[in-house]
Amino acid sequence: MRVRQTAVGVLALLALSCFPGSARAEVGHGRQWIDIDLEGTDGYSIHISVNPRRHLILQVSKDEYFAEYMTRDALVETDRVKTKLLGLGTISVRFHPRGPVRHPTLPGCGKKHPTVQPGVVRGTISFVGEREYTQVKVREAEAAIEEPTSWYCRYGVKFDPDLRRTEWVSKLSATGEGVYFLARKYRPGVIAGTQVLFFAETGEAFETASGRRLPLTIYRHVAVPAPAATFPDAHPENMIVSPPPPFTGTGTFARTPESVFTWEGDLAVQFPGMDPIPLAGPGFEPDYCLRESGCIRQRIY
Amino acid sequence: MAAGGLAVAAVLLAATGLGQAKLRRAGKFEVQQARTAAVLSLGKERGYEFVLYAPNDRVVALYAYRSREVKEDFYTSTYSIYAARNQGDLEHGVVRARFGSLGEVSLRFRPGGRERRDDPPPGCEGGSEVVQYGGFTGHLSFRGEGNYFHLSSAKGEAYIAHSPRLRCGRGEALEPQPRSLRKYVAPTPLLPDEHSIALLYSSTRSHGRYVGITAAHPEGAPPGADVQLAIIEPRPGMAIGHGVYLNGPPGTLLTSTPGVHPATATLAPPAPFYGEAAYSEKADAWTGNLGVNIAGSQLSLTGPEFDVHLCVVNPLRDRDGCDFFKAEPPPDERPARPGWALR
Repeated sequence: MRVRQTAVGVLALLALSCFPGSARAEVGHGRQWIDIDLEGTDGYSIHISVNPRRHLILQVSKDEYFAEYMTRDALVETDRVKTKLLGLGTISVRFHPRGPVRHPTLPGCGKKHPTVQPGVVRGTISFVGEREYTQVKVREAEAAIEEPTSWYCRYGVKFDPDLRRTEWVSKLSATGEGVYFLARKYRPGVIAGTQVLFFAETGEAFETASGRRLPLTIYRHVAVPAPAATFPDAHPENMIVSPPPPFTGTGTFARTPESVFTWEGDLAVQFPGMDPIPLAGPGFEPDYCLRESGCIRQRIY
Repeated sequence: MAAGGLAVAAVLLAATGLGQAKLRRAGKFEVQQARTAAVLSLGKERGYEFVLYAPNDRVVALYAYRSREVKEDFYTSTYSIYAARNQGDLEHGVVRARFGSLGEVSLRFRPGGRERRDDPPPGCEGGSEVVQYGGFTGHLSFRGEGNYFHLSSAKGEAYIAHSPRLRCGRGEALEPQPRSLRKYVAPTPLLPDEHSIALLYSSTRSHGRYVGITAAHPEGAPPGADVQLAIIEPRPGMAIGHGVYLNGPPGTLLTSTPGVHPATATLAPPAPFYGEAAYSEKADAWTGNLGVNIAGSQLSLTGPEFDVHLCVVNPLRDRDGCDFFKAEPPPDERPARPGWALR
């Protein structure tokens, strides 16, 4: 098996296709989700969900780190899930209801109450993260089967409007193949106790030596708050950013005598279980914006 | 060849600003005068495409045009235009002109039988334009300066178009065509500069001769610069225009960054240019050995006679960039010392 870096945007679309909004076209094939909550080693939380499109999504999170492993060929029946995560684990469980069906009230969803059947899954759940950064092996776990009423009114997933997406005053992004870096500065008060947020995400897809696409994609991201001094905007044609761990090194955005804007340096991000991933260099397209003035976009060819 | 030649003619017409400019006048209606135009595609020689073009019954112009892809996505286009008065009666298919010592034409249009009729353009009313296809017979002899080309045959596909007088809504009629021969050889800037963040403009005028070179780097573009050269020179009874457009590779235009003073720049475009020029704001000097091989001769493009203007902008601080290029008078009519400031 060889690894192929894939554009993050593509993965984002894939991820979106997992949401029940996309599944509305599958009315008649069921709209049920199965959700399983687990605790991994070293303080990681693990959440497994199976969507109506038979995609199994295993999410790992701890502090500012988040990873999502998605496989698209899960064998799913109404109460049964069986799939392999390409060398990372196996999930083969059957759902057993326990307790009465519930119709919880969700904030912002009005009278749209999902139908939730609590219960347990029994069988095999085995997941070992890359280089064993976390793992979980259980025979039984608490679970629920949920039939949501709309894509955003789902009990198993919380959709919170994120001010951090819109309330920035300056931002710098750099897009490489399969990796994306973003620094945003906010007005005081948007982020508790600080003004800057550094964000990095990667996406990976896999294929065989013959080019056949394998049904696993992995998406990872980290979002780290930092002091304002780590993302200066004193001179927008030449700046150095120096994010805190798990980032290392610095990235320099600068205008050359050719009037080309470059994004260079040894900036990298360290995801759990992975080698450091470079976030700067000639393969990255930088994009720097000041909310009040506009953007500088540098294309690479 | 005919189709290619006619396409070349269209490109050249756009380049020299003789295209479809609309007239903007007060009043409800306006008149678009009757007009006859002719095009003769003369084929290719020494890499140049040649087209004889009579935009109206007063003027005849010979276009020589060469374009090549130097490497992927890098193009170089070179042209020469020779314009003279038509002494013949184009309405009756006669073209007769002398181009000084360079050549002369004495031709008569012979319809080939094929004809096309076009309705008036939107916003205008009147008769149809009649386009007759055929060829020209007669005498054509032309030598480029220094014999960089030689034409001696009028063979080639041609057409002559008769447009009737039209009544048009306000702003719909085409501009009256200029009387000055110089206007027929002056290029309009093809390189968009409104998104450029580094611009260099160097020009000189002497005894009616204009030489101007523009280099621009658009925001977000990869290393390199777009370069445009225009040379316009009057001769007795005629006007000559030469020009180069090219996409220069990395290293073509290097400048100091915004706010750095004294500002500096170097310009080193590829062939047909040679050498390089340096600009210094401190010395107000344009020095070096930059020149161009064009129309069979070499022309130096540096020296104290050149006025040089450099505009390097920060896209976040001034989205409008270099206003002096936006004023956009024709290249040969740009003010010699407009007094714009370096930023």
